[in-house]
Amino acid sequence: MAQQGEKLLACIHCGLCLEACPTYVITGDENDGPRGRLYLMRAVAEGRLENTSDAFRTHIDRCLGCRACEQVCPAGVEYGQLLEASREELSRAQPKSDFTDKVLRFVLKHVWLSRTRLRLFFGSARVFRDLGLPRFLLKTGLARLFSQRAHFALALLENSRTIFHTSGKSVPSASQTDGQSPPVLLFAGCVGGGLFARVNRATERVLFANGFKVSAPEDQVCCGALHAHAGDLDGARELARKNIAAFKSGEPIVTNAGGCGAMLASYGHLLANDASVAEAAAQFSSRVRDVSQQLQTVEAEAAPLNKKARSVPDTTNGRCVTYDTSCHLLYGQHAGDASQQMLSAVVGPNFVPLEGSERCCGAAGIYNMLQPEMSGRVLQEKLDHVRETKAQILATGNPGCQMQIGAGAQLAGIKLQVCHPIELIDEAYAQAGVYGDGE
Amino acid sequence: MDQLTDKLIDNLGAIVGRENVLSKADELLVYECDGLPHHKHRPRAVVFPSSTEETSAIMRELARAKVSFTPRGAGTGLSGGALALDSGVVIEFARMRKILRIDVENRLAVVQPGVVNLHVSRAVLPYDLYYVPDPSSQPSCTIGGNIAESAGGIHCLKYGTTTDHVLGCRVVLAGGEIVDLSAEYNGYDLLGTYVGSEGTFGITTEATLRLSQVPPAVRTLLAEFAEVDDASHAVSAIIAAGVMPAALEMMDREIIRAVEASVFAAGLPPDAGAALLIELDGIEAGLDDEARKVTGICMEYGARNCRLARDETERKKLWAARKGAFGAIGRISPDSMIQDAVVPRSRLPEVLHAAYDIAARHQLRIANVFHAGDGNLHPLICFDSRSADQVRRVKEAGRELMEVCVAAGGTITGEHGVGLDKRDLLPLVFSEADMNAMLSVRAAFDPLGLCNPGKIIPMLRGCGEARAISAETNAVPLATKLQSAVPPPDSIEELSEIVKRAAAQGLTITPAGGRTLLNTNPATNLIVEMSRFNKIIEHEPADLIAVAQAGVPLTTFNQKLAENGQWLPLDPPDNGHATLGGIIATGLGGPQQFGYGRPRGSVIGMTVVLADGSIVKAGGRVVKNVAGYDLCKLFTGSYGTLGIITELIFKLRPRPAREATVVANGSIPELLAAARGVLDARLFPVGVELLSSSLASRIGIEVDSAALLIRFAGNEKGVAYQVEQALLHLKNASIEETGVASDDSWIWQNLAAVPVREAPSFATHVLPTKLADTSLDSHSLWQVGVADGRVRTFKHVQPNTSLDPLSQRVKHNLDPLNLFRGHDYEHAA
Repeated sequence: MAQQGEKLLACIHCGLCLEACPTYVITGDENDGPRGRLYLMRAVAEGRLENTSDAFRTHIDRCLGCRACEQVCPAGVEYGQLLEASREELSRAQPKSDFTDKVLRFVLKHVWLSRTRLRLFFGSARVFRDLGLPRFLLKTGLARLFSQRAHFALALLENSRTIFHTSGKSVPSASQTDGQSPPVLLFAGCVGGGLFARVNRATERVLFANGFKVSAPEDQVCCGALHAHAGDLDGARELARKNIAAFKSGEPIVTNAGGCGAMLASYGHLLANDASVAEAAAQFSSRVRDVSQQLQTVEAEAAPLNKKARSVPDTTNGRCVTYDTSCHLLYGQHAGDASQQMLSAVVGPNFVPLEGSERCCGAAGIYNMLQPEMSGRVLQEKLDHVRETKAQILATGNPGCQMQIGAGAQLAGIKLQVCHPIELIDEAYAQAGVYGDGE
Repeated sequence: MDQLTDKLIDNLGAIVGRENVLSKADELLVYECDGLPHHKHRPRAVVFPSSTEETSAIMRELARAKVSFTPRGAGTGLSGGALALDSGVVIEFARMRKILRIDVENRLAVVQPGVVNLHVSRAVLPYDLYYVPDPSSQPSCTIGGNIAESAGGIHCLKYGTTTDHVLGCRVVLAGGEIVDLSAEYNGYDLLGTYVGSEGTFGITTEATLRLSQVPPAVRTLLAEFAEVDDASHAVSAIIAAGVMPAALEMMDREIIRAVEASVFAAGLPPDAGAALLIELDGIEAGLDDEARKVTGICMEYGARNCRLARDETERKKLWAARKGAFGAIGRISPDSMIQDAVVPRSRLPEVLHAAYDIAARHQLRIANVFHAGDGNLHPLICFDSRSADQVRRVKEAGRELMEVCVAAGGTITGEHGVGLDKRDLLPLVFSEADMNAMLSVRAAFDPLGLCNPGKIIPMLRGCGEARAISAETNAVPLATKLQSAVPPPDSIEELSEIVKRAAAQGLTITPAGGRTLLNTNPATNLIVEMSRFNKIIEHEPADLIAVAQAGVPLTTFNQKLAENGQWLPLDPPDNGHATLGGIIATGLGGPQQFGYGRPRGSVIGMTVVLADGSIVKAGGRVVKNVAGYDLCKLFTGSYGTLGIITELIFKLRPRPAREATVVANGSIPELLAAARGVLDARLFPVGVELLSSSLASRIGIEVDSAALLIRFAGNEKGVAYQVEQALLHLKNASIEETGVASDDSWIWQNLAAVPVREAPSFATHVLPTKLADTSLDSHSLWQVGVADGRVRTFKHVQPNTSLDPLSQRVKHNLDPLNLFRGHDYEHAA
């Protein structure tokens, strides 16, 4: 914490961040606002507050890490980085010993850092999900017999399912592109690869259709966001080094998950003090972009739907679509506009804007499992706005948000399907015949 | 934690729920400072009420425990005002954030104190309305805090500060008493006195805010100057030329560079010495002419370039840059001390020079971003709080800067408040007598001394309790019988002497001016004529202010101001004799108060002789001033019962280039409905008055049952357009008989001059939408302000002069012997 002194001094205590912070708006407690948290961090750094203090623990833990405060900060405080440093400090000064935390640490260390075990983990989750067990438990109400947290977890898993029929959309092979096609590298992500493989496939198809040669490096691993958010910066660095090695070829790195994208974009900062990889890390981070940003580089006349010269098919069957911006896509990757533009190209008049789209949904990585009460209150506000839109489909560019909003809506009895925007693009391409005669 | 505190925490917890009380030392840490973090005082506890009733119960409990308290909203204040000294308790309103009611037709909103300023405007924008005060912290700061500080902002040059936009407050006093203060209350203007009292009078738990129409057209100009000096001369020239910009802001080179490096970068020229951001608003017609005029002035004063914002996006960016400027300093300096001082606009160049000199002498970096149109400076001095030497130098520089501003006729704070930060600087602008008068008023609101103690006024030897008056033994008797007059005093000292002697002899006093309205209380022994206080002391056109003695008639005053194209825009009941002192003592406005405001909004400073003979000053000579309590509001409309006004300082307006009145004849309900239609049509009339036919006939307008007068003022094109639109609306409302008076001053002069001595007027206020339910007939004499709900009848009505307990305490503390008997207030007391 003490090394963060200069960064902490940037905060001039003006308070312009307060209303941007979902937790402050809910509790009204300045300890739960960015300015208050920075004040606690500074007090720890300056020795005015013990790093073993309850207040430090409680209020740093309670931060969603959405980074909405950075967007409104006139002094440019790098809050996200300071938060991670605080969590690292906490994990050393106040190691937790409760069951949840033990499980979390164990999983982050022994599952996430091992490719085989991670595959096995998501493999079983997939089997469990695809057998329809969560649905059964939720529908029969049996899920409620477990803890509230487990109940919600089942709903999260259930809501990682697809809302489209993907059969018949074949993944084009590399041979379909010519030597001129600019190559891009797909970052699959751990949850992305494990539960949202279809989103990765859709991303590949759309990129191919737009003339990119897509490949996904074999040796890539999880981005490390979960580790960093949990204060395990060493774990995050280990993963970062592996990814830097796996993506060393210098081509653009395309992501479809805001959380991963923001993490990858911060490798430069994460490894700034490691002389052996600092430069490579910075270079890596500069190559990261969301799929929507990558598609923005395509000339309008070269866009597949325009080339087909047909009217854009109504993939939503007249249903209204709304869009929720993932915080890290917005604040971490600054891709909020690109993502929304990409979506509106295929949704057109069926689009209804979501009030408070820029605010966190409460998923925040695994915050929803660690701070269920606060997460629930943040989610509630999101669901209230979703209800106002009367939309039947909500698109959002991050798997965590997708599951969170889907689970929240399901448990609240709102009829809502949640998907990734790229899935809607993919569906439009398929219906318009961009992928050949398709189905 | 001691036992006493434990018990207190338990009791507070019993009121609001234990989870709504913070009491652990670590969690209280963040409450040790506000937006000015070099002042640190950790509170004993923080308590979160959720209603007026809970707040009252909390304050009752705190009074019982004799523990002081401080209200707090978002803690964005810049005076150390929201800190609890002496281990007091912070009462935090962040959870009372509901907008309770929006009344679109009557243009008001009722809100809880924790509602964020910007959220009010956001909520009413769909109705083309907004809440005007816009401090830079508006995305976070709360209405409760705005009221406590009488917050200003960028757009108060034309539209005034918080005090001009608050219609009522529900206030909890120390001990738990709940009072409703209203702008329409027929008695002392306690609301005006309360707004800006920095939480030392009581705590707002509900506020009624005035909403205004969003101006349909806006022009934002960006003028670049090589030198700060040229820019500040241009500012004075713009105002002196009769332009009233909605905002007129300056940023110097340091600020421009800091902003351009931040998220608020807006493309400001980094090589410019200074930039002016000038916003003009109103109706579309004629606005481009004004923009051209401003551009011309800027170029004449040496601007390198002056251009319009390209589009709405750029306009928003420019303002975001301006509002984010203070925070952007965090990029170039670990700490910064933001100052807040006001100087007469015409003195800006020399004061800015002095500011740069002072900083250089103390080897500190200084950046300036400020409300140039108001003369409200915000120098930011950069430093590093980890260096004790730098901290010392910053403090010294800050004080020197304040001394320079005060010496230039300015004041120590224009909008941030005195709080803790400037408490010890208050004696720079107020004498001990002035501060004692303030303490007397404070003691009326907070006899227990528990409300945010230690703020605003430094500890004085006198404690603000009413002082005993020393009897003069060898004085010649002033009067021996009732209702006699003394020779008119010639000087304030002479007046003070008369008051002292009257007090010693147990005689009561009523001051008299033009005797327009004087309805002498039979209990008065002495009438003091103010006729020799007849000097116009100063008029500075570039500052839009004038100073005059109380006995000057309004007509004489305005003739003098007209020489420089300015005026005091008041139209009270006046047959040509009303004096400035009398107008302010009654506080009565006229038909055009809708457009120009009531007298309370025009007075920025005054000198008053109090019951103990002391001569006190309130306010100052700058247009924006929150130093000390706003006692000008208290004396305005007090009918001479609290003191005798001897000298007044007014803020003025440029004379409009053009005025015209639309006159319509029709039935009362038709005209009322049509008038409302005109008001909702995004036009900006200065007066919308409905007159009974008998009253209309008295001023030379013959109608069947009633006459509607709609007056527009402004530039040629703007007035022509609005007249045309108003006629169109009246036609659509099937009002057939209409006319336009292009030379219309006779109408309004005659209306004000309707003799009131023979038929005393009685004014009351209702909500504008309730006017239709008011019984009005065409035969009797009456006039109605359709826009503001003012109903004036000309018959003998005994005004309700009973004083509420709070007003009685104010009267008692300022005039314990009940010496001043101007009005009949004391009958009920």
